[in-house]
Amino acid sequence: MNAGPARGSVAAVLQRPHRTLVQVFVDWIRTRRPANSWPALLGLVAFAAMLGVQQLIEPGTQRLLSAVFMFVALAQAWNLIGGYTGYASFGQVAFFGLGAYTVAVLMNNYHVSFWLAMPVAILAGVLFAVLIGVPLLRLRGHYFAIATLGAAEGLREVVNNLTPITGGGLGITIPTFGDQAPTPYFGKPGFYLAFLVLAAVSVAVCALLSRSRFGYAMVAVNEDQEAAGAVGINTTLVKVVAFAVSAAIVACAGAFYAFQQIEFYPTDVFDASFTVLMVIMVMIGGSGTVAGPLAGAVGLELLSQFLRVNLGAYNQLIFGAIIVVVVVFFPQGVVNYFRDAVRTRQFSIFDNVRRYRL
Amino acid sequence: MGQFLQAAAYGVVQGGLLALVAVGFSLVWGVMNVINFSHGAFAVTGAYVAWLMSQRFGLDPFLAIPIVAVALFGFGYVIQRGLINLIINAPIFLTLLLTFGLNLVILNGLQLLFTSDDRTIDTSYASQSFAIGVVNVPYGRLAACFLAIVITVALALVMTRTRLGHAIGATGMDRGAARLMGIRARHIYAVTFGIAAALAGIAGTMIATVGSFNPTTTPGQLTLDAFVISVLGGLGNMYGALVGGLVLGIAESIGGLLLTGTWVNAIAMAVLIVVLVIRPSGLIGKAQYSGRVEV
Amino acid sequence: MIAPEAAPATAILEVRNLSKRFGGLWALRDVSFSVAEGQILGVIGPNGAGKSTLVNLITGLLRPTSGQVLIDGEDVTGSRPWVIAHDRVARTFQIVKPFRGLTVRENVAIGAMHGNERDLTVRDSLATADELLELVGIAKHANDAPGQLSVADARRLELAKALATRPRLLLIDEVMAGLRYAEIEAAVQLIHRVRDSGITIVAIEHVMKAIVSVSDHILVLHHGSIIASGEPRDVLSDERVIEAYLGHRYVKRRST
Ligand SMILES: Nc1ncnc2c1ncn2[C@@H]1O[C@H](COP(=O)(O)OP(=O)(O)OP(=O)(O)O)[C@@H](O)[C@H]1O
Ligand SMILES: [Mg+2]
Repeated sequence: MNAGPARGSVAAVLQRPHRTLVQVFVDWIRTRRPANSWPALLGLVAFAAMLGVQQLIEPGTQRLLSAVFMFVALAQAWNLIGGYTGYASFGQVAFFGLGAYTVAVLMNNYHVSFWLAMPVAILAGVLFAVLIGVPLLRLRGHYFAIATLGAAEGLREVVNNLTPITGGGLGITIPTFGDQAPTPYFGKPGFYLAFLVLAAVSVAVCALLSRSRFGYAMVAVNEDQEAAGAVGINTTLVKVVAFAVSAAIVACAGAFYAFQQIEFYPTDVFDASFTVLMVIMVMIGGSGTVAGPLAGAVGLELLSQFLRVNLGAYNQLIFGAIIVVVVVFFPQGVVNYFRDAVRTRQFSIFDNVRRYRL
Repeated sequence: MGQFLQAAAYGVVQGGLLALVAVGFSLVWGVMNVINFSHGAFAVTGAYVAWLMSQRFGLDPFLAIPIVAVALFGFGYVIQRGLINLIINAPIFLTLLLTFGLNLVILNGLQLLFTSDDRTIDTSYASQSFAIGVVNVPYGRLAACFLAIVITVALALVMTRTRLGHAIGATGMDRGAARLMGIRARHIYAVTFGIAAALAGIAGTMIATVGSFNPTTTPGQLTLDAFVISVLGGLGNMYGALVGGLVLGIAESIGGLLLTGTWVNAIAMAVLIVVLVIRPSGLIGKAQYSGRVEV
Repeated sequence: MIAPEAAPATAILEVRNLSKRFGGLWALRDVSFSVAEGQILGVIGPNGAGKSTLVNLITGLLRPTSGQVLIDGEDVTGSRPWVIAHDRVARTFQIVKPFRGLTVRENVAIGAMHGNERDLTVRDSLATADELLELVGIAKHANDAPGQLSVADARRLELAKALATRPRLLLIDEVMAGLRYAEIEAAVQLIHRVRDSGITIVAIEHVMKAIVSVSDHILVLHHGSIIASGEPRDVLSDERVIEAYLGHRYVKRRST
């Protein structure tokens, strides 16, 4: 018999030796079952399917789908800071524009390869996130929302006025032809692939993060920062890291977007409606989940493409109306509404509206 | 030197108008914790109402003000009562989203009705001016600025001296308690939003008289200015908004003289962020609803 | 007051001349004491005496106006809360602060994930949480939302969350207030078991009887100052304490 603390005592629980890394790995392998692996398997199958069907899709549709993939990544990114951590950033487009301009400036002015420019763009996004995150993440609620909005607007104005470097309001063009091109243009199939991989990586990163210690830390920060600090969570660090990871994904999306567009203006890549789209995609799908933003991004981007093609001048009007209707009728998110409705068998939308009304 | 005085004078009159745009925004934010993304759209809607009056009936914009005010008050009241009140207790980003959607609807509606051309309301006096020394002051701008200041002060008096003002203030500070005192919060919120919309409409009318407007770029710029002024002036503080408006107006016009391009806007945003971080209760005035200042 | 010169060499917590002012109000004024390893220190005092403020100052939630907090002889004054938590000091909140969006089990697991001698994986933390829930007696609620717990169970959850960080010093802010008699008995038992595992405890309580039975030493706060300190029995018979704690009338009634 060992002389350790008696079973069932506080000491027995708190002083129990930890598993070794090898044990953790072996146990993990041994406990794999369909029941606990299906989300990962489903993700892999979906990814493989999108890869497989690419040959069957015409280029125009591939272009459309690459926009859908991009928004999947953007929505996942916003969800990290806005959904899990609870800091509703209205300035994530800053990182999109920063990523886009970093790539364009490097490729156009310095003839740098896209594959070198893209990591630099991600790094720029992360650095800027840390720079503004440290002071701004002390603000809460509307104050954080406005400060981030201001940061994005301010950055756009800076880019707009740094004409010698960025071309200013006249826009910037990435050379894509002949000897001028630092990297050959990907074409529609190439960008389909690029954005598909970006979306898959973003979903995977968010899925892994959300189940990790860090994921629980983000949720704890969102719920109650005093309580989170008291159990040893460095709330400042968690917020800044969540913001920076989100920024990295958004900047990477911006980098690919820039190359895809070839030519663009500050107003294009710093357009606040990018941020709003991220927010509403997360919100419609359901924040603080991995499936929510995925569903929201796919559903909403397909819808908005449909409106653009079929409703012409009215598309923005209808789109605004849809936002209003969804916010009023499904304030907790469409996906969450249906999940709760099925569980409680309460489908009345009017009861749903009562939830937040005055 | 003359150039600077001219710019300062221009800034003051412009600032008065911006203040009138911002007071309503600041009031709504302070009282019900709603940031109204569509505030600039309300201002431009008011401008179109006055523009129509002038086009169809040759009505002078200053005389159209009561009509604009009533129309926009009604519009604002209905929007708050019928839409925003429905999600007033939801997490903040939902109200932001709702007003963003509203903004899209209003602006695209206006664009479909009136195209996105620049418009201006022509008057015989807008282009005439008198001179004080080297400084030229256009009559139209001076009158508009004067009116803006009078209305802002009047609103501040309403807020501090009348039953309605006290009811709005009480609801803003503690809605639960106010309701227990028999204040109808739904109605008060709607009235507050209506007042804000009416003031925005009046400001829009004035801006249309002394300059030009369109449904694509004007609203966003006005909303952004309202943000900056509200933060500088302290949330819900009427006099703070007035001074904040004047400060922004002068800073923008003198900055425009000293700096090339739109650096002024970048600096305005930098100031906004610094103020938010260092003194979220406002630089000029003290926020009236300090409970909203969550740091 | 525990005289500074009598402070044991192994003081796990020492507070020196700690003061905190809120505007014009001194919530805590010039408070000094120390706690030896393995001890249970009871802190009592009427409403608004400054007890919770004391806990908030020690755990870094508030910065003191003046004075020092030492843990194991090291000055930690003004450190951030998570730094204090990693100095192996845990606390409960008087107004319970569960993470409402998570289950009871996950609430406790977060402490095991982010506290001291952390578990390697989330799964291990959840296992630790299950054992702690068993210990504090709310295992059957493991998968419930914390909002569904009774007052007594919510307090137990607070305790389990704090224990999960594997502390050496535990600051308990009124876990017994509002509990029924049987529940208090159970809580007292639990505190003894926690101490028996080698954890030093500072217990703030309103419930006199409970605090007398658990504490080795008692400290009485009133209007932010220490008005008495010593063995439980001695302190409780002190006239000043009775007056401060129960009011004049009680003193008068007793003397007649
Ligand atoms: N954040 C704060 N701001 C201003 N005053 C405060 C703050 N926190 C506490 N106080 C005041 O400090 C005094 C001490 O409060 P504290 O909560 O420490 O008392 P307590 O002994 O824990 O009381 P209780 O038995 O009611 O829990 C009270 O008068 C309280 O109103
Ligand atoms: Mg207390």
